[in-house]
Amino acid sequence: MTLTPPTPPPDPDEPSSGVPPAPTAVAVDTGDARIHDRGYRRYDGERTGVGGAIRTLAVHSMRRALGLRRSARHKILPVMVVVFAYLPGTAFVGAAALLPDEFAEEFLPSYADYYGFIIAAIFLFTAFVAPELLCTDRRTGMLGVYLASPLDRRTYLAGKGLATAGILALVTIGPPLLLLIALSLEGSGPDGWGAGLELLWRIVASGLVVTGIYTAISLAVSATTDRKGAAMASIVGIIVGSGVVGVTLAETLDRPNLRVISLLGLPQALVHRIHDEDPPPEWVDVATTPMVLVAVGVTVVGLAWTWDRYRRLTVRR
Amino acid sequence: MSLITGRGIVKRYGSFTALDGVDLDIDHGITGLLGANGAGKTTLLGMILGLHPVDEGTITVLGHDPRTAGPEIRTRLGYAPEHHTLPPDVAAVDFVTHVAELHGLPGPEAATRSSDALWLVGLAEERFRPMGTMSTGQRQRVKLAQAIAHDPRLIMLDEPTDGLDPVQRDEMLRLIRSVSERYQIDVVLSSHLLGEVEQICDGVVIIGEGRTLVQGRLDDLRAGGAGVVVELDEPIDAVETLARRLDAIGVPTTTDGRTIVVTGDDDVVFDRVRDEVAAAGLAVARLHRRRLSLEDLFLDRLG
Repeated sequence: MTLTPPTPPPDPDEPSSGVPPAPTAVAVDTGDARIHDRGYRRYDGERTGVGGAIRTLAVHSMRRALGLRRSARHKILPVMVVVFAYLPGTAFVGAAALLPDEFAEEFLPSYADYYGFIIAAIFLFTAFVAPELLCTDRRTGMLGVYLASPLDRRTYLAGKGLATAGILALVTIGPPLLLLIALSLEGSGPDGWGAGLELLWRIVASGLVVTGIYTAISLAVSATTDRKGAAMASIVGIIVGSGVVGVTLAETLDRPNLRVISLLGLPQALVHRIHDEDPPPEWVDVATTPMVLVAVGVTVVGLAWTWDRYRRLTVRR
Repeated sequence: MSLITGRGIVKRYGSFTALDGVDLDIDHGITGLLGANGAGKTTLLGMILGLHPVDEGTITVLGHDPRTAGPEIRTRLGYAPEHHTLPPDVAAVDFVTHVAELHGLPGPEAATRSSDALWLVGLAEERFRPMGTMSTGQRQRVKLAQAIAHDPRLIMLDEPTDGLDPVQRDEMLRLIRSVSERYQIDVVLSSHLLGEVEQICDGVVIIGEGRTLVQGRLDDLRAGGAGVVVELDEPIDAVETLARRLDAIGVPTTTDGRTIVVTGDDDVVFDRVRDEVAAAGLAVARLHRRRLSLEDLFLDRLG
């Protein structure tokens, strides 16, 4: 094996540029041994383009929101939320495995009712993720860096929206899906492939509906203020406040359909409709059409508001 | 072919006209984009990046129109912003890797090149540190590293020496010069400091009052029609006598102590000054072509 000669020491009389010496040969190939030289060099390989940039942004943003490659304090909330979301499902599967079938059937919630156990986790991620991803970029100047890459405002928002929706899906689709898989393996799942696939479709559709509504709300609020804390408080305020207003108006005016104003209850009510299950008693008299219209309206208006804010935004550079 | 060409660029914000018919040709090497704060440099950089539409005029970057090919252009550009407030809890190597991936490099290649870029700017040992714990000088180097990690054809550096002390500033300028020369990466350096542009740039575009005041290769601009400077090792009386003799033969002069500045066509006045000095038998300390400073050019064009 032949080694490359060592790099000579720098000439003390030569003024330093503050830069390490340029790389010499890329590699020396002597039989089986290859010694790669370290150093900056040109790159002639493939580039992933705008699609790759969106994917990179989404993955990086999801990692950031989940606290990966960050200090321990940034992991506390995400871990807590994921535990909140998956713990009930794990407990139900354990109970189904340990209890006799007749008790287990009584004990296990329906897939739509299961959202009642994880709604706190969904709210927490709704309030936390989009402010962390959007407000932080504007406050730290990262938005200017992103918009100097192949991303533009539209594709930047696409990446951030995907990241927000992806993390919300972790707690809107993930837990019921886990429940379905675990119960199926345990023998308490749906009867046959047909029923299984139908349930899978309902779980995914329900999760996407809840994810869509809450992603749009959280993106819209996060596009409105640079302050993370204010955005988080506003998201919680809007969801809870709309719930109070919706219930109050529906009961005061005796117009059940006005409950659809409640962004607190609407997503769960829609999940019951998708699963074709009996809704909570107070939603029985609410028609499906206004529910769908409000859900679609909130999602579209939220995304349009987000785009409009970013379209007009003066980016700091 | 120029890297960046602009003709009659106009940019308005409401009733305020930020750029009012800017023409520019940015060539290979290091080009200084100069102008006072608020002159429109950052607006111009934004238009080069395709982030602001041009209200009037045309602009071409690397042969493309930024309005229609913004992503393609930005893939081959590196950009270091002026501000220092990068995410404080992110390690430098993660930040540089992420920016390299955004510019289209596959993950493993981006990770390798980010380490190499940080090594190049002198942050090999510091690359795992969160950027919030770094000094201003180190953050400026991180910004340079993220601008070059994806191997751009052209990098645009917005006030890269802002916040640095004189020693750090010189190091940063040498670093930029070195990156440009060793790796053939062209540089647009936006600055309001004439001295630093003069120190490392090959070309310059000076913007003022929304228009182009001066542009061209620095050597050409400084040399053009400047004249000759003669410094005598003689008493002041002898210096003044020579100045009067030069004036008498139609060579205009200005005197500053023992130095006479002669303006006019270099080749003509150089010979005449040499002949007059020799005829008078005076001792010459220095005789050289006069070089205009950027400050001279700037003030001259501002009127």
